[in-house]
Amino acid sequence: MPKMDSAQKAAKINSLQEELTALIASVRAETDIKKKRKLISKIGDYNRKIDTMKSGRLLSRETKRDLVAYSFIAPNFIGFCVFTLIPIIFAFALAFMKWDGSNPIQWQGIGNFTRLTDDIFFRAALKNTVIYCLGTVPLTMIASLALAIVLNQKVIGRGIFRTLSFFPYVASLVAITAVWKMLFHPSKGPINSILYNVFHMPQENLPQWFTGGLALLSMILFSVWKYMGYYMVIYLAGLQGISGELYEAAGLDGANTWQKFRYVTWPQLSSTTFFVVVMLTINCFKVYDIAIMLAGGGSGELTTSATVLVYYIYQKAFIDWDLGYSSAVAMVLFVMVLVVTVIQFWGQARKERA
Amino acid sequence: MKSAHKKAVLGKVIVYMILILIAIVMVIPFLWMLSASIKSDREVFQMNPFVWIPENPKFSNYKDIWTKIPFAKFVWNTVYLTIVVTFLQLLTSSFAAYSFAKLHFRHKGGLFLAYIATIAMPWQVYMVPQFIMMRKMGLNDKLLAIICLQAFSAFGVFMMKQFYEGIPDDLCEAARIDGMSEYRIYARIMLPLSKPALSTLVIFTFVSTWNDYLGPLIYLKSQEKKTIQLGLKMFISQYSSDYGLIMAGSVLSLIPVLIVFLCLQKYFVEGVASTGLKG
Amino acid sequence: MKKKLLSTMLVAAMMTTLLAGCGNEPVNGGQESSSAPEQSSAQQSESTNAPEQSSEPASEGNESAGGEDVTLKWAIWDQETTAYWNDLKEAYESSHQGVTIEMVDLGSSDYMTVLATELSGDGSDFDVVTIKDVPGYATLVQKNSILALDDYISADGVDLSKYAGATDQVVVDGKLYELPFRNDFWVLFYNKDLFDAKQVAYPTNDMTFAEYDALARQMTDTTFGSQVYGAHYHTWRSAVQLFGVLDGQHTILDGEYSFFEPYYEMILNQEADGVCRKYADLKTEGLHYSAAFSGGDVAMLNMGSWFIATMITNLQTGEYDSSLCGNWGIVKYPHAEGVEAGSTLGTITGLAVTSATDTPDAAWEFVKWVSGEEGAAVMASSGNFPAIMTEEAMSLITGLEGFPADEASKEALNVSNLYLEVPYAPNVSEINSVLDSYHGSIMAGEMSIQDGIEAMNTEVSKILAQ
Repeated sequence: MPKMDSAQKAAKINSLQEELTALIASVRAETDIKKKRKLISKIGDYNRKIDTMKSGRLLSRETKRDLVAYSFIAPNFIGFCVFTLIPIIFAFALAFMKWDGSNPIQWQGIGNFTRLTDDIFFRAALKNTVIYCLGTVPLTMIASLALAIVLNQKVIGRGIFRTLSFFPYVASLVAITAVWKMLFHPSKGPINSILYNVFHMPQENLPQWFTGGLALLSMILFSVWKYMGYYMVIYLAGLQGISGELYEAAGLDGANTWQKFRYVTWPQLSSTTFFVVVMLTINCFKVYDIAIMLAGGGSGELTTSATVLVYYIYQKAFIDWDLGYSSAVAMVLFVMVLVVTVIQFWGQARKERA
Repeated sequence: MKSAHKKAVLGKVIVYMILILIAIVMVIPFLWMLSASIKSDREVFQMNPFVWIPENPKFSNYKDIWTKIPFAKFVWNTVYLTIVVTFLQLLTSSFAAYSFAKLHFRHKGGLFLAYIATIAMPWQVYMVPQFIMMRKMGLNDKLLAIICLQAFSAFGVFMMKQFYEGIPDDLCEAARIDGMSEYRIYARIMLPLSKPALSTLVIFTFVSTWNDYLGPLIYLKSQEKKTIQLGLKMFISQYSSDYGLIMAGSVLSLIPVLIVFLCLQKYFVEGVASTGLKG
Repeated sequence: MKKKLLSTMLVAAMMTTLLAGCGNEPVNGGQESSSAPEQSSAQQSESTNAPEQSSEPASEGNESAGGEDVTLKWAIWDQETTAYWNDLKEAYESSHQGVTIEMVDLGSSDYMTVLATELSGDGSDFDVVTIKDVPGYATLVQKNSILALDDYISADGVDLSKYAGATDQVVVDGKLYELPFRNDFWVLFYNKDLFDAKQVAYPTNDMTFAEYDALARQMTDTTFGSQVYGAHYHTWRSAVQLFGVLDGQHTILDGEYSFFEPYYEMILNQEADGVCRKYADLKTEGLHYSAAFSGGDVAMLNMGSWFIATMITNLQTGEYDSSLCGNWGIVKYPHAEGVEAGSTLGTITGLAVTSATDTPDAAWEFVKWVSGEEGAAVMASSGNFPAIMTEEAMSLITGLEGFPADEASKEALNVSNLYLEVPYAPNVSEINSVLDSYHGSIMAGEMSIQDGIEAMNTEVSKILAQ
């Protein structure tokens, strides 16, 4: 910045001041709310410039403040920008292209999306993902709520029980799916062995847990088992936010346990439940590793009865190298998640207004 | 009075029965894992009679796993990755979250929206372009790729911001009047207060990095870069019928996460409650 | 250490025999081209002599790389359990001074996927890559990740007829992008002890499917605790449906798959009667075929010839219990009525030069060497089937310690008709995915055989129409 003498400076400040007064006048005259807002924000800019001029510093206080704030954000934001934001934008663009990762990219328009409608594997993946979701979400919610209510009581060994129910969540998927596959082994596993020996189920009717229609059921049961501890903690946090007075009041009115739950706990937890359902739904849409590890067998290949959206994205991208088409499938997944998220924001906004 | 008492006792009994049932469901797979890890392949599926501890426990499984595959290498890679990622994640997200929660600056809304928008974005949607980009940067088959991938999540920023917003602004204001710089306020006041939130974030990050499968599968190709999860999966497909060994490897892979979880769990519920994760 | 020494010595011995063979007979291994043997013998003498003539620094590999030291990065799988990678590396390095081969193990389970990922874009630093299967080869060719070798082949006068037609099946638009160095074919492994115990005659080199099915059923014992499975089919598509292509009238690129039907029927019936393990069980466990066969309760297993080397090595090291599976043999694949015995499936493993390499000439030199006679010698010395099958290589394999001693097992290696598991087509990767998926559905009982084949027909026709 070239050095200015004080006379120049004063003149500059004056001219800025004049512009500012003119601006303020035009704000007053403006009737359109949106335009008015824009103009008002401009007033701030002018004030800042005048401040800088007057104080004679290189940076205004606001700019300095901004720089401090940005310095806090920068380490995370740069990484986030490079490794998340840019690829996401790229992914959007790719959905309209044809690319195999090496040869030049070709414009495809909506061709990838029209192909989807006619793709039997995509439809199977979509259907399975939705079924998995419909099964997992309510079951997990009910199980984790029940668990949270029980563990919110004063019972002996509460800490231990809480810890135990959280074990499956922290345990690695590869390890515990290996155990599940042994427990549910169609011909040697203890579960089928009990069905056969204790319940005398005929040998040919023993459930084939990881193939056919049962594959999805196994996936659902498994994820309820694995994730209920996590959602239980969220419910516990919610339960602890409910004031004890409400229960006392209900007790004085002669409410029994069920009524207390029905008229105090459940309504008080509504926002928690809402959050849990949204999180669960989003996570269910993203299911991948549970499917390949439970139903995928050695090579990790899924048949139409167990394939899920993310697996199809992976397959199209990394096996068939149809990156544009894979991105198009990913966009479907994105839209599904987006819809759920929008519903959540809408629900939260409604809650805040109420 | 008496019937009420009886009812209370009955209620307790039911509660405990539910608890025990749940505990059994939760724990049995782990007990089975432990039990199978000291059995020979033939004993694993022996049902009549079923025993938890075989007559001659095969502890050698725990020794063999280290030589059958480069298990120590896998463990080291995973430990290294997890620690670096967790550290970076804590540092950068709490740093950024402080700014979002307690400072005023231009474009705050826009920047935060960028974070929020990507929380809802499944990683799988952009894993392909991300991979191609990382490849260009020469990060393919490098542990650094997984660090870059995991360390800058929008989720951590979001969670820490929620927590900091719960801390009264007065605290910061008072410190500012005392002439403390923002960096000092962050280091001296905010960080010590955020133990529960940090612990919660440690658990989440540690668990997800330790157990990640798809990320390492795509990025880490060579044998000496693989993580425990990949190694275990590889071992399972190669030695499919060495059940005892598979289980021993699984048990070993669980221990570190369990330790971290047990150490930090006392902050956990509080952390979840105060970070707005409950909705 | 001892093993390494032994294998190097074997290689050396092999080379001298080959050399001697070449010197005595001008026509080597049934080749008709007259220029090729001369050329190959010239190459051999040069490469075998190189270590001795250390005063002369220029060997072929060096010259092509401009006289400087080169390092070639080579993509392989399962370095620990597969001996020949190291043998090839050592033999090549000792005969080509200044060349270092750096092997990168990408694992066998997702090898081609991982490799294609590695080679996409332009950031790859691989020079030579091993091609495991044809769908993966097709992908790499379409992605322009590997180089067409035709110019090199004609410049160096490599005689493709040595490969007995294998290279013809992977030609893309008149160009060849890989040279095979391993050529495996499917045979029937059987456990002699189980046959002896039941006093049933061993399988023969000339069995129809009906005879094979009857034999498998005869060997089956469903008594709990002492089960014997007459047959075992790995979860691969090739292990079941490709019985159908052995008559030479169909291929998997046809788009019409009713010819799979009798074989699905035969195997699903066997499964229902306990003759073989259930597909669903195998999938749940991810049971490896080697674990199944070495467990000693499988009488017959159809598998590729690569399993011969695995059996020999693992029995020697004690990895497999020789009381369970030590007494084994092989016979030719069963065949359909009216088809010649010895018709079988083949699969080639090749080497390719990446388009990203900085040293294509040195890389080609290596590819040529491994796929050529010297490489073949190294392969055969560890019990693997080289792409150039010579009498010597054959006798070396059958003469290995641990190779079944009976005549039938030696005879089983004579193939009459070889059909590639997957021949090349532009969209073979997608076709392969579809067939794999419905194979899983049929075998797991999610779909009836007719419905599954119907679905294969519809979906593959869609791909072919594109």
